[in-house]
Amino acid sequence: MFVYPQHSGFNAMKLQTHSLHITRSGKEILKGITFAVDTGEVYALLGGNGAGKSTTLLSFLGFLSPSSGTIQVNNKDVTSDVASARKMIAYLPESASLYEHLNARENIEYFLQLAGTSANKNDIDAALDRVSLAAEARLRKLRDYSKGMRQKVAIALAILRDTDVLLLDEPTSGLDPSAIDEFHQLIRSLADSGKTILMVTHDVYGACQVADKIGLLRNGTLVGEFTAQGEESIDTETVHKAFSSSIGTSSHAEPA
Amino acid sequence: MSTFNALMREIKFTARDRTVVFWMVTVLGLSAISLAFGLAEVKHQQATIQQLLDANQQERDAEFEKLKDWGSAAYYTFHLTYDAPSDFAFAALGQRDVQPWKHRIRMLALEGQIYERDVGNPSIALIGRFDFAFFTAFIVPLVLIILLYDLRASEKTAGRYNLLEATVGQSSSFWFLRAAVRSGALFLCLIATLFIAGMIAGTAVSKLLLAGLWVLIYIIFWTVICFFIAAWRKPGSVILMTLITVWVSTAVILPALSRLAIDKLVPVPPGADILMMQRETVNDAWDLPRETTMNAFFEEHPQWSDYQQVESSFEWQWYYAFQQVGDQKTRDLSTAYQNGRLQRADIAAWVSLLAPPSLLERSLQALANTDLNTSIDYEESVRAYHAALREFYYPKFFLNQPFDKALLKNLPKFEPNQ
Amino acid sequence: MKSILLIAASEWRYWLRSHLALAAALIFFVLIIAVSVLTAARMEAEKHARSHQQAEAEETFLAQPDRHPHRMVHYGHYLFRTPAPLSIFDPGLDTVTGQSIFLEGHRQNTVMFAESSASADFGGLSWLSPALVYQLFAPLVIILLGHGCISRERESSVLTPLLAMGISGHQLILGKALALVSFTVLLLLPLIASGAIALANGESVVALLSLFGVYGAYLLIWVILTLLISATLSKRSTALGAMTGLWIGFCLVLPSIAVNITTDAKTVAGKIETDLTMLSDLRKLGDGHNANDPAFQQLRADLLKQHDVERIEDLPVNFRGVVAMASEEKLTKVLNEYAESRMLAELQQEQHLLDYGLLTPVLAIASASRAIAGTDLAHYHHFQREAEAVRFDFVQGLNRAHVEELSYENDINRNKDEASWQRARIDASNWQVLEKFEFQTTNISERVSTVSSSIQMLLLWMLIAFGALLWRGGKIKP
Repeated sequence: MFVYPQHSGFNAMKLQTHSLHITRSGKEILKGITFAVDTGEVYALLGGNGAGKSTTLLSFLGFLSPSSGTIQVNNKDVTSDVASARKMIAYLPESASLYEHLNARENIEYFLQLAGTSANKNDIDAALDRVSLAAEARLRKLRDYSKGMRQKVAIALAILRDTDVLLLDEPTSGLDPSAIDEFHQLIRSLADSGKTILMVTHDVYGACQVADKIGLLRNGTLVGEFTAQGEESIDTETVHKAFSSSIGTSSHAEPA
Repeated sequence: MSTFNALMREIKFTARDRTVVFWMVTVLGLSAISLAFGLAEVKHQQATIQQLLDANQQERDAEFEKLKDWGSAAYYTFHLTYDAPSDFAFAALGQRDVQPWKHRIRMLALEGQIYERDVGNPSIALIGRFDFAFFTAFIVPLVLIILLYDLRASEKTAGRYNLLEATVGQSSSFWFLRAAVRSGALFLCLIATLFIAGMIAGTAVSKLLLAGLWVLIYIIFWTVICFFIAAWRKPGSVILMTLITVWVSTAVILPALSRLAIDKLVPVPPGADILMMQRETVNDAWDLPRETTMNAFFEEHPQWSDYQQVESSFEWQWYYAFQQVGDQKTRDLSTAYQNGRLQRADIAAWVSLLAPPSLLERSLQALANTDLNTSIDYEESVRAYHAALREFYYPKFFLNQPFDKALLKNLPKFEPNQ
Repeated sequence: MKSILLIAASEWRYWLRSHLALAAALIFFVLIIAVSVLTAARMEAEKHARSHQQAEAEETFLAQPDRHPHRMVHYGHYLFRTPAPLSIFDPGLDTVTGQSIFLEGHRQNTVMFAESSASADFGGLSWLSPALVYQLFAPLVIILLGHGCISRERESSVLTPLLAMGISGHQLILGKALALVSFTVLLLLPLIASGAIALANGESVVALLSLFGVYGAYLLIWVILTLLISATLSKRSTALGAMTGLWIGFCLVLPSIAVNITTDAKTVAGKIETDLTMLSDLRKLGDGHNANDPAFQQLRADLLKQHDVERIEDLPVNFRGVVAMASEEKLTKVLNEYAESRMLAELQQEQHLLDYGLLTPVLAIASASRAIAGTDLAHYHHFQREAEAVRFDFVQGLNRAHVEELSYENDINRNKDEASWQRARIDASNWQVLEKFEFQTTNISERVSTVSSSIQMLLLWMLIAFGALLWRGGKIKP
């Protein structure tokens, strides 16, 4: 069996990539990315449009194969066994799209069955309580839901899947500020209970608030990494500055 | 066990999809309609046969007075031949709207009678009936296409595709299961109605099972085609149009081109030539020396060659001899016409392997005895019956047996093929 | 007006940049051109073959030697149905109806040898003709190009800014309609090519224009329905699915179901069935071969009185011929009565079928197209009537020769010996009673008037659909 080069100290990491290159229809999207997320850690990938954030996320699910480099979940190579990598991951897509013609419980039941697990009514209610979806809404079809409510159902689903890893794609876009706050608290509590969370976002403020580590992506390369020190969260100002310069605008420029 | 759970999960999921339910109800309804009308038509045809048999008998009774000798008996007695619809004809009425399935014949030259066309309204035949075979072979693939083309594409537009794939892990079997549940439901709708209709008509179980098997294979075939084309990473409209193009090619264009090519490749003599030749022979006989006709007749019927011919006045023996010679002279042409049709049917059978809708329709028609071969078999049975009539009368003519009306009871009876 | 043109132009630009639209249009044009060429070649070959057979049949009849006239009555004659000029566009019933008919005394035979009986069998849709391509596949191309007209704008959120700029729902729909209509005119161009060939073969310009008109109206119905669905359903994919479903229903399912209902509700007695009923009527007329038949006593008495003689032998005319003529006339009357009532029943059945044109415009266009092309049921009946007229004329012509050219004495003694057999003949020049025959379609105003109900049906469809579209257009919202 082929043994991938491993870096000492990265061995225990839940998610890691090493010199990851990904090419899509002739264009190199990721140009050698190396980073790792530890168990119980919240890692935010920050970047502008087209920086390669979602590509990185999707490559952990085996949707895209590396042209070179490695990508691992729980020290196992994703490309050689996509199915078992996916088993360990709950994925929250950007628009939190679920079936419109089903209600919250039916959606959750269906997707859990798809994942090969199941949950009883109480567990589902408990999860929906945890994301604080109003009880009276749970029997309504999703087509009547607001964006925030859909997001809650999707997170409840992710919680119920009880996987080690959560991948979140732009989880807060389109949510109102109080919903974002609520969401961040939930993420923190999940991480504290031992889940490994990788999220991609372009919300600098939110990332600083919730993440243990922030990776800054630009044009398919990781241009900077920021780590929270102890109880202190990452400094927003520093990250904002780096982010703005990475997407080519000056942080000092006044909005017109 | 997990496959079973997955199956139950997808069945439950599909049952909640209103579009799928709508199409299933539609298929169930259309299938029932096609079969109900098929049953009614078969019943109508059976009633027609019975009615014609009665009317023909009445006509014979009325003409009974005219029968003065064996010759006039043969001349005035008409016989009804028919091809009764089979116990599966309700599902595939096939050629019965285009090809004659009843002839009223007498002992004159057969070639002049067998091409009579007692068929229904051509406007009706042109559009064609909505029978189970047509529905299953031509419409059902389109329903399958509608049900399956955007299996993946719709999930992509709805933004669920990645989530589904990520959640399910092993994705290829998942999509296949989704497709299979829809196709399976459709198959059940078809087969349930077919079996109920079969029970009403008292169809042989083996026939029903075989028909069920053809339909199953056919649906699997289209499901696989839809499944692979729908897996293409293209927008739904492109996939739909590609699938419809496949349908148009196999259901319309290929059959149409094949028909033209086969008809060109295997020429058949113009039917009118057969009739003209037969007519010439029969009419010329009046002017020919009688020995010429009789010798031609004795060539094929040496057992009567001792018969002594009366020279001038009209004689039934001579009259029927030139009728027979008329058939003999046209035999080559008539055989060529029939062989041409059979050969065309044979090639068409092979070509239809490339055109699945035609293949299924033809298979069901073959099972229902409503295909071209059955129609030619019926023609053969009429020829055989006509020959039996000649066998009955010839000894009476040529041995100068005294005329006895009571003996007409022994006339051969037409037995339909079954 | 300017904004309508702009909307139409931008729709055209979208199609020209869409591979799907280009591919669909290309496939359609290849198909219609190929089918037009093949059908034209096939029908031209048929026409030559049948005209040739017709000429041959006439020649053989005229070449018959001196004979007893009644022998020629039974010798009979053949007529061939030459295809109509526009059958290269719509062969209609040509393939499912017989091509030739044998004419003889005392009988009306059926038209025999339909192409469909001998052809390789691939089911009904394999009789592909330009007309069928227009009826079934042109709508599909219109659906493909038109289903996204409005739903696409809505899906990509262009509809809101468009409406916000002051463009009304009606303007938007008219612009899109203009684009689709101009495309539809393009689709109809190959029809003109087929029509030009028919024109060269003696078809009238009016027929061509009528054909263009009815197909234009039919496709316009599809344009309107497509726009209506596109304006109503919010998603492109649902609009496409709905239109495809509608296409299956209109083009494939409903016409055949209408056939089922019609044959079940309105049956037409078959030939054998009518023949048997007719025979009992005919029995009352007497046998025309037997001049002593009691049915002819009256005729005999009248004739003797008229010529003031005692015996039929003394009549200046051949009494046997007179009887043949009189009985043929009486018989033909009965035969025609039954033939007419069968044709009427068939027409009524077809009319009943066309009443279901309210379910699908395809029935109406198919019937209008066949009628204008001269390949419909009315023309098939027209052929049968013309054939009957030819039959009656030559049979009576021969009977007249029987009356005038052959003496009664020679006639009754014909079976005595070889010499009397020879004497009972008339000169072959008498066979000239046969007229040359070429089957012609009826004139175009007659053709159009037979399908006025189908044309009205098409217009009704158009009006209803257009009304619905106008109503919907007024309510267009983002």
